[in-house]
Amino acid sequence: MDQSVAIQETLAEGEYCIIAVQGVLCEGDSRQSRLLGLVRYRLEHGGQEYALFLYMHRRMAITGDDVSLDQIVPVSRDFTLEEVSPDGEVYILGLISGFLCAGSDVTVQLNTAELNLVFQLPFGSHTRMFLQEVARACPGLDPETPNPEFLWLSRYRCTEPEPPPPGWNSALGTWTGCARIGGGGSYLDDLRPNGKGLLVDQNSRGHDKPDNLLTRQTKSRSEMNDMIRCSTITVSDKAHILSMQKFGLRDTIVKSHLMQKEEDYTNIQNFRFFVGTYNVNGQSPKECLRPWLSHSTQAPDVYCVGFQELDLSKEAFFFHDTPKEEEWFKVVSESLHPDAKYAKVKLIRLVGIMLLLYVKQEHAAHVSEVEAETVGTGIMGRMGNKGGVAIRFQFHNTSICVVNSHLAAHTEEYERRNQDYKDICSRMQFCQVDPSLPPLTISKHDVILWLGDLNYRIEELDVEKVKKLIEEKAFQTLHAYDQLKIQVAAKAVFEGFTEGELTFQPTYKYDTGSDEWDTSEKCRAPAWCDRILWKGKNITQLSYQSHMALKTSDHKPVSSEFDIGVRVKDEDLYRKTLEEIVRSLDKMENANIPSVSLSKREFCFQDVKYMQLQVESFTILNGQVPCQFEFINKPDEESYCKPWLNVNPSRGFLLPESSIEIELEVFVNKTMATKLNSGEDKIEDILVLHLDRGKDYFLSVSGNYLPGCFGTPIHTLCYMREPILDLPLETVRELTLMPLCTEDGGSQLEKPMEIPKELWMMVDYLYRNAVQQEDLFQQPGLRLEFEKIRDSLDTGMIDTLDILSINNHSVAEALLLFLESLPEPVICYSAYHNCLECSGNYTASKQVISTLPTFHRNVFYYLMAFLQELLKNSEKNHLDQNILASIFGSLLLRNPAGHQKLEMAEKKKAQEFIHQFLCNSL
Amino acid sequence: MAKKTYDLLFKLLLIGDSGVGKTCVLFRFSDDAFNTTFISTIGIDFKIKTVELQGKKIKLQIWDTAGQERFHTITTSYYRGAMGIMLVYDITNGKSFENISKWLRNIDEHANEDVERMLLGNKCDMDDKRVVPKGKGEQIAKEHGIRFFETSAKANINIEKAFLTLAEDILRKTPVKEPNSENVDISSGGGVTGWKSKCC
Repeated sequence: MDQSVAIQETLAEGEYCIIAVQGVLCEGDSRQSRLLGLVRYRLEHGGQEYALFLYMHRRMAITGDDVSLDQIVPVSRDFTLEEVSPDGEVYILGLISGFLCAGSDVTVQLNTAELNLVFQLPFGSHTRMFLQEVARACPGLDPETPNPEFLWLSRYRCTEPEPPPPGWNSALGTWTGCARIGGGGSYLDDLRPNGKGLLVDQNSRGHDKPDNLLTRQTKSRSEMNDMIRCSTITVSDKAHILSMQKFGLRDTIVKSHLMQKEEDYTNIQNFRFFVGTYNVNGQSPKECLRPWLSHSTQAPDVYCVGFQELDLSKEAFFFHDTPKEEEWFKVVSESLHPDAKYAKVKLIRLVGIMLLLYVKQEHAAHVSEVEAETVGTGIMGRMGNKGGVAIRFQFHNTSICVVNSHLAAHTEEYERRNQDYKDICSRMQFCQVDPSLPPLTISKHDVILWLGDLNYRIEELDVEKVKKLIEEKAFQTLHAYDQLKIQVAAKAVFEGFTEGELTFQPTYKYDTGSDEWDTSEKCRAPAWCDRILWKGKNITQLSYQSHMALKTSDHKPVSSEFDIGVRVKDEDLYRKTLEEIVRSLDKMENANIPSVSLSKREFCFQDVKYMQLQVESFTILNGQVPCQFEFINKPDEESYCKPWLNVNPSRGFLLPESSIEIELEVFVNKTMATKLNSGEDKIEDILVLHLDRGKDYFLSVSGNYLPGCFGTPIHTLCYMREPILDLPLETVRELTLMPLCTEDGGSQLEKPMEIPKELWMMVDYLYRNAVQQEDLFQQPGLRLEFEKIRDSLDTGMIDTLDILSINNHSVAEALLLFLESLPEPVICYSAYHNCLECSGNYTASKQVISTLPTFHRNVFYYLMAFLQELLKNSEKNHLDQNILASIFGSLLLRNPAGHQKLEMAEKKKAQEFIHQFLCNSL
Repeated sequence: MAKKTYDLLFKLLLIGDSGVGKTCVLFRFSDDAFNTTFISTIGIDFKIKTVELQGKKIKLQIWDTAGQERFHTITTSYYRGAMGIMLVYDITNGKSFENISKWLRNIDEHANEDVERMLLGNKCDMDDKRVVPKGKGEQIAKEHGIRFFETSAKANINIEKAFLTLAEDILRKTPVKEPNSENVDISSGGGVTGWKSKCC
């Protein structure tokens, strides 16, 4: 029954009861039942706050009228609710106080700065869920999130006192009806007649100073950490693992591995189980039950005690509430074997069908995952006058399910009984601790113990014949007529179950208070209604008997003792197994880190030349894991590699054991040549090949660049009287870095040439061979020839061009490339805007040219003279001023901002500027 | 969103000169094995190992770095995400010990301010070839206020102890806090590349 519904009815708008659990508030010797509800409040600005509402309540709260607020504990930063190790005493079922003092319940401690309460909560998944929800509600220690203010709770601080509702579960008298918020001390203290004024004290603390909530939240973090650390958690270890909500997939794997390897770390150990069933015919206990429950010399380890017809009253049927429950529970608890102390694990009741589970005190810690459920098969197939109750639990490492059922009555109704059994089997479902797992059924247990008033009768024999056979103690003969035996043999019911031999006389029906067979009008035939069956491995039945000494009911109680082999964990072996599993999972995870092998990791590009592609390739061979690879940027770099390098492809996906070929391409163009000449840049790079979720690989690229005239400044070339490749690298570097001066600095250097010899070589070649060439500068050259031209320029082999009779177009293109690759254009950047401004004014234009550095001025006039020479042959070569102005305009005049594409207007002006020098005398 | 799997995830980093045995130290810890053939790590490798400390399951993600000088600029960029750094030298290689101060400076410059550091003098099984006395290692560690162990990946001396001690030191200053899944989830692809996100 979800009691949060009852709480919800008492809450205001915006408040929501997430989960509720019924527990026992323990204060000293006092035990008070409380309903604990976790309430969430959504704040207007987003975010939410939580508080724990404690209610006094009717035993099972169904509506808001059933609960009454006792106090509110805000879930503030200093709030903790933790399981604590119960002291030995808690486990022992001492003298039964009015309340069902929990045996091996979960003991939790609630702490805030001012409050310290201890609760006992029932075993099982619901409590576990409750604790998890509370843990989730606790505000983290993250300083970013604001401290909760709990303004919404102010409404409860000024609750008007109300008269207590009559008939409340406590005889506490002066209930103020004023719920306390936070606050220390115990509620009982407040209510004691000699309460030493505590009531006033505390109320004033709680009511008048709402800001005390805030002040105590400022407690230092270290203090809180101490609080968290010092609490010890001792629950049986499985439950412990499961309570940790952080565990997800991996934990599930660990658990399933542990289950598979159970035999490696467990030993079978026998435990003595007492199983008893008693139909008490609605009677109250009148005699001691020891003859039934404690008849053997050895104290059982586990007691499973079932009753039927506990209460036959209408009240019990309709309101599910009966005083008989406690009466019988008490007398059973008192009649358990005197040689041992027992802890109650669970009590479950459906109307008159009750099942009690006790274990020896020392075993309590090894009982976990206790769940209890009921199935009604009575009126309309659902009501609780007939049906079954069951408790399932984990005892050490063995799962056990105990079922107590009361099946349909009347001799002829055996098929109805069979059906009841099947209904109980199919409808009895237990929640698992892990809510993602499907519910457990009875059959999913290692050991099943089934007891109860199964109501199967003796058929085909008349009453007198039955009684005669009983007198003769011919139980075997009689058993042949037992409906249960017949139905089991026909596989109609209890398939796979075993029952011991019936060596006792039928347990039904006697005149109450006697051992006489039923003398009433109905004069029912005796029958073995009360039975105990079992299913599972390692189970030995030691006894199976009835107990004639008990005369309270028209049934006699039946008992059976078993030795049951239970898997007990060997802690050392368990730890070892667990470690092995963790290790193997780690290994698996490590094996799943993407990993590849590379056919080559060092790449050397030798004698890289201007505009000459060099390619090296390597193979990425993938391992067992599919992977995504990518060459990634190094810190503070804009690209994964230097501009002269390109990787193809630079990213991709690889299936297991597949491979891909990667090409590294080195190509130096005009933008990089100067820096490579000057040594400011080198053919050196490290590439980082990154595998998604995996390793990184470093690839080294090295090599050398052969300097060339392409990309070398005009003035530098003028100072190079030798071919550039004949000069030591050091000289090339120095000359390349030499600043451009407007006037010759009268330096110590060898007298420079007036124009670069390389320019002269190309122009001279064209002058000699190509003045009449059609479409000069308009046809592309041949790449291979370009390389030859570049090499002959750089090595000074002037004749090569002629010897190889290089195509005119190739030389023309090389000339254009040469001009394009100049780091400082022929018309220096600084003169660019002046030139555009005076474009159209030839005198002014000439004036600007005269301000250029000598070498640049020389080159300019040299080129203009050459172009004018070409124009003289325009009849043959079809060149005109406009074509040349348009080609050379954008090469000689380059925008200092470096825009690749000049705007049309600028382009036009640049052309116009050049045009003047083509049509006027220089 | 992947489910949370660990209480905590600690990222550790192994640094030090080439050939001091960083990869072997890691291999001993993760696989409890030793390989005598020397294969220089050229890149960043990592392995995981789950340990339990103070009842907490801690996943250690340990990065092994290339020790070669030419990669230093790149490897330092991996320091940033590390919570613990193991600085390894070789007790039979004086140069590797002399470089310790340089490595420590690297840590100061590139790692998180609160990174937990540890000094390891590896190959302590090769006492006959020892050139760095234990006392010198202890001294430099003391000067910098960091822990020191002499280890041998080959003879399995102090390897586990060193890692667990480092993890414990990190745990000690980790605030007690519900780990949020972003912190611990590595399956979503962060990988080991601390600076990778910048370029995507």
